[in-house]
Amino acid sequence: MARRLRGREALTGYVFVLPAVALFAIMGLYTVGYGLALSFAQWNGFTPTWTWVGLGNYLDLIYRDPTIAPIVHGAALRTLVVMIAVPLLTVLVGFPLAVALNHITWLRSAYRTVFFLPQVTAGIALFYAWTYALQPDGSLNFILRHLGLGTIAQPQGWLGNPATALPTLIVVMVFSAVPVAMLLYLSGLQTLDAAVIDAARVDGAGGLRTMASIIWPLLLPITGAVTMLNLRNALQDFQTFLLMTNGGPGGHTLVLGLESYNLAFFSGFKPTLGLSSALGWILFLIALVLAFVNLRVLRSRA
Amino acid sequence: MGTKRCGGRVLAVVAALAMVTTACGGGGGSGDGTTLSMWTFKQTHVKALEAAAAKFKAQTGITVNVTAYTPDDTFTSKVQSAAASHDVADVLEVHAAGEDRVLGGAGITSDLAADVNDQYKSRFLKGTADTGLITEQVYQDSLKPKATDPGVHTGQLLSIPFTAGTFGVVYANKDKLTAAGVDASKAPASWQELISWLKATHDKDAQNGGITIGLKSSSTGLDWALEPLAFALLGPQDFHALYGTDKAKAWGSPNGQRVLEQYNQLTPYWTPGTQTLGIDDADRAFAQGKAAFDIGGTFTISAIQQNGLNPDKILAFPIPVPEAGVVKDFKLAPFALTGLAVSAQTPNRDAALKWLDFLTQPAQAGAFAQAALDLPGTDLGADAEKLVGPYLSSMEAAFGTGDSAWNPGDSTFKGPSWDIQAAGDILVKMTPLKELDPAATNQQLAVYNTSVHSGN
Repeated sequence: MARRLRGREALTGYVFVLPAVALFAIMGLYTVGYGLALSFAQWNGFTPTWTWVGLGNYLDLIYRDPTIAPIVHGAALRTLVVMIAVPLLTVLVGFPLAVALNHITWLRSAYRTVFFLPQVTAGIALFYAWTYALQPDGSLNFILRHLGLGTIAQPQGWLGNPATALPTLIVVMVFSAVPVAMLLYLSGLQTLDAAVIDAARVDGAGGLRTMASIIWPLLLPITGAVTMLNLRNALQDFQTFLLMTNGGPGGHTLVLGLESYNLAFFSGFKPTLGLSSALGWILFLIALVLAFVNLRVLRSRA
Repeated sequence: MGTKRCGGRVLAVVAALAMVTTACGGGGGSGDGTTLSMWTFKQTHVKALEAAAAKFKAQTGITVNVTAYTPDDTFTSKVQSAAASHDVADVLEVHAAGEDRVLGGAGITSDLAADVNDQYKSRFLKGTADTGLITEQVYQDSLKPKATDPGVHTGQLLSIPFTAGTFGVVYANKDKLTAAGVDASKAPASWQELISWLKATHDKDAQNGGITIGLKSSSTGLDWALEPLAFALLGPQDFHALYGTDKAKAWGSPNGQRVLEQYNQLTPYWTPGTQTLGIDDADRAFAQGKAAFDIGGTFTISAIQQNGLNPDKILAFPIPVPEAGVVKDFKLAPFALTGLAVSAQTPNRDAALKWLDFLTQPAQAGAFAQAALDLPGTDLGADAEKLVGPYLSSMEAAFGTGDSAWNPGDSTFKGPSWDIQAAGDILVKMTPLKELDPAATNQQLAVYNTSVHSGN
């Protein structure tokens, strides 16, 4: 049973806890509350007063404002594509690589260097490196041409063609996400009970069968975590899109996160901070539902 | 004893935090009128401003610390957060005819009307002196829903011009023109001739002989190229009507179709991937010889030079008039691009006003122009060529005022929620992406224009 603190001991405890509580209150509760209140107002970030509009911002975003709703609808569709593609590809690439890394020990150092490089590189540098590599005269087109695959090279650059821009950004996001997925899978693989795998082998299961029927199901909670992590990132990411395409070409890579950023900081001083905040809350609610579904699925698996 | 010691520690922590907070608040000046802080969003202005600050200190003993926050949206959010913590710099270089009103209306910058009389104003280029003035029309517009500048009052002067210039300036690489058999000694006589030049340079070198503009910000195609072309083709009244509510003349009409068909002639000649380049990237690509033409404004020449291309190698001219154009003597109206504003929170107002006065005196304005390769808002008169150098002064031939001059600073005829980015995205789908033909683009712009007006 916990002992109740008294007197000086209690005061010391409170003093130690106070900074954390104060920081949380200022950085967490205050800003969240501020953001929520802002979503019910019109404000350009400068004027001393807000104009309260109730649920107006939410309605404008969803259907009511003819200049904003169609843009939001397009962005929502693209965000959905990213939310499906990024987690799926991250699992499809990360899991086999983690298995390989777990088995081919002599390659582990090289693997680590190559696949963890994105994690130790500054994000902005990584995005610019990708951007230059994907230009019409960038290294990707150069390599393809020298491999005799010039027909695949993109004359307008991989980010300049509407057909390839979004898929290319998805590949970049997957490239950044795979190391963490690998790390999670690797830790899962190294903590698996060897007796279970040995038993499967004794029963005559081959490598693939063991992988499909034993290892993969045992690692499902990690798959759930990887999926959830990447779903959230895919839903909220805007920096990849801002830095690499700014939503272009012609709005073909505009996603909800970037639209929220544009409404907040790039709206030509129009009073759209509230719209941005409302869009942020919509994204948060979607993330909350996804997290809930994910938890339910994991719990049912367990 | 123990409690006292504990309380003492808490006090020490609080005191230390207070000191850190105070030390971090470095936006404003000293408060004794001897040190000023100035923020700008133009990196290319910093060195020139620092050189001016050195002279200013020698004259007055006042130190000016200049800081650039780029790009524009970073500057905006910096001012936004600093205003909330009462830590705005003493002097701000702001976007004229827009940002100055927003900041003034919000009470972040102060009214200069009492400090800038008519004699003071007479030093500025004609038509620019009152850019920061809140006229009755501006005030009435500020009362509309979703206005960007609520809080302004008629008669306020919220900034004075600092740099002036215009959009719609085409830069061509003389060496590439000559190599393609084009006479690089004078500007093309018409839009059609420009297209023929483009064809020549593109035929000579398809990869590096095109035109660039930095369409990663899709609005550049619209307001730096299409709008001056549309103005020259249709004349001022029909140009304004494109953005109005009369469907017979607005986007979607035959006039819109004519403009888009002319603009679409650029499609085969865009530099590969120009839709992925930012404005600075496009200037860099041109300076590096990856494009034969670059579209920008008067301010572009400094970026090109900074990227290593000798201005002697550049032919600069305004977007040329189409052969069937209504405005035969087409000019570009210079307008105040940036202005100088004084913080409403500064304890150094007198010193800040002295700095504004110093920066906008003809001699200093000329020195700034030479250093930054950007045109000042100050009228340099007969000494212009001597003061700003040959490259900037040659551009002044393209300037004009009146009915035949396109004024990119005038957006009064557009719906208040017209978003050049959204419209620019539609235009980019026509050229260079070729996803829409001119007719479909015309229809999409019509739908957007109608929605802008219905959302008023």
